Amino acid sequence: MKHSISIFWRLKDNHYKIYVTKCGDCGRVAPLKRLKCPYCGSRNVEHIESRGFGELINYTVSYYRTEGSEQYLPRVVGLVKLDEGPVIIGEITDVDLNELSIGTRVEAVLRKYSSEDPNGLIYYGLKFIPVIKK
Amino acid sequence: MTSSRFRVGIVGWGAYIPVYRIKAKEIARQWGFDDRVTDSIWIEEKAVAGADEDTVTMGWYAARSALLRAGVNPGDIGAVFVGTESKPYAVKPSSTIIADALGISAKKLSTDLEFACRAGSEGIRISVSLVESGAVRYGLAIGSDTAQANPGDVLELTASSGAAAYLVGPADESVAVFESLVTYVTDTPDFWRRDGSRYPAHGEGFTGEPAYFHHIVSAVKMLMNESGLKPSDFDYAVFHQPNGKFPLQVGRMLGFPREKVLPGIVTPWIGNTYNASALLGLAKILENSKPGQRILVAPFGSGAGADAISVLVTDKVLERVGKAPTVEELIARKKYISYAEYAKFRNLIHRNLW
Repeated sequence: MKHSISIFWRLKDNHYKIYVTKCGDCGRVAPLKRLKCPYCGSRNVEHIESRGFGELINYTVSYYRTEGSEQYLPRVVGLVKLDEGPVIIGEITDVDLNELSIGTRVEAVLRKYSSEDPNGLIYYGLKFIPVIKK
Repeated sequence: MTSSRFRVGIVGWGAYIPVYRIKAKEIARQWGFDDRVTDSIWIEEKAVAGADEDTVTMGWYAARSALLRAGVNPGDIGAVFVGTESKPYAVKPSSTIIADALGISAKKLSTDLEFACRAGSEGIRISVSLVESGAVRYGLAIGSDTAQANPGDVLELTASSGAAAYLVGPADESVAVFESLVTYVTDTPDFWRRDGSRYPAHGEGFTGEPAYFHHIVSAVKMLMNESGLKPSDFDYAVFHQPNGKFPLQVGRMLGFPREKVLPGIVTPWIGNTYNASALLGLAKILENSKPGQRILVAPFGSGAGADAISVLVTDKVLERVGKAPTVEELIARKKYISYAEYAKFRNLIHRNLW
């Protein structure tokens, strides 16, 4: 996968951390950093860094091939319900396809997103693995 | 260069071992070694980093565990060092990527260090000096490697992947305080990798006696002479572990009984993690230690040099062990892979990329 160096760098904080937005009025928690609560529209919101733990609530397996991506295939893309409440999309790594099961506790870890070009930049960001400390 | 220090200690520590393992005997069979060679150096299996792992990602995990155990504000960390001989970039620091991903302030010293397998412990020594001088409140020293070995070389039986991290800070916040630190280095041609070369080479006759044994024995004797400590004063001794046999042998040479060396040995089950090797052994000991116990740790790096460090465990260790995965939990978590999968993960297969 080819990335734009400048876009990736500008979004670095969102690749290295998981943020959620907590509404000071309705109390609900939404994924990502938001200026307004998506549920009640309030601007009384707080950005919180997620601890990065959650539960796998569904997943799909992608065999989609792009040049140079073969080393990482197949990719498992999961829906993770964070302990803070919101559901986010994330890649699940270090898993065998026959072992994958909904309900697995997962934790966010820093991994390579892509590094195919030996002369290019290595793109790092968070993925999920089954929790190490049970 | 000696100093006695009771003002600085280990505030937090962390470990990381990839989930994948390959049996040493499978590698031996792949390349036509006598099966008994793995027993002769005591290596059962080694840890293999996955395709999306490298020195940065493993170092990040170990460092994050160190911060979780320490419970400090990342903004108070004034120095980050990564000791490695498998930098993902020849030019671009690994330490800045790890620091940014952990939320450590931009106001810091930050660099990658290279001294074969002991650059991580050099990072600890520098951090101790920085904390003691008051230049920084906390210094983070990481040892992380996806160790390279030429396929078919005997080194391939052991060269593995893993990371360890130590947050160095004030003694009154520490799980173990630094009592004495010495380093012994010389120019020795035991192991090297030329610029642009994919795999290291080793000077056959040099790796044992004139390199590993001479430097560790010299460093530990220097520490004993200058501190007045004896082997009987230590509860544990941890040495660099290129295989399972060498640390037991060097322990014997220095007068440490087997039962003080065995608890810190990790290499037979995860391989030689290079910069993390002795530091993972120390982490395992800390996780099982009792307040008041004294630990000797002696990392070694080719080229060559060894450190000898004496630490005294404090009562804070007990409350912090459970805050992150332990070395024993990381060793127990494993999935076996074939030589073909290992070759794919470690980029040993030549492909046209574009």
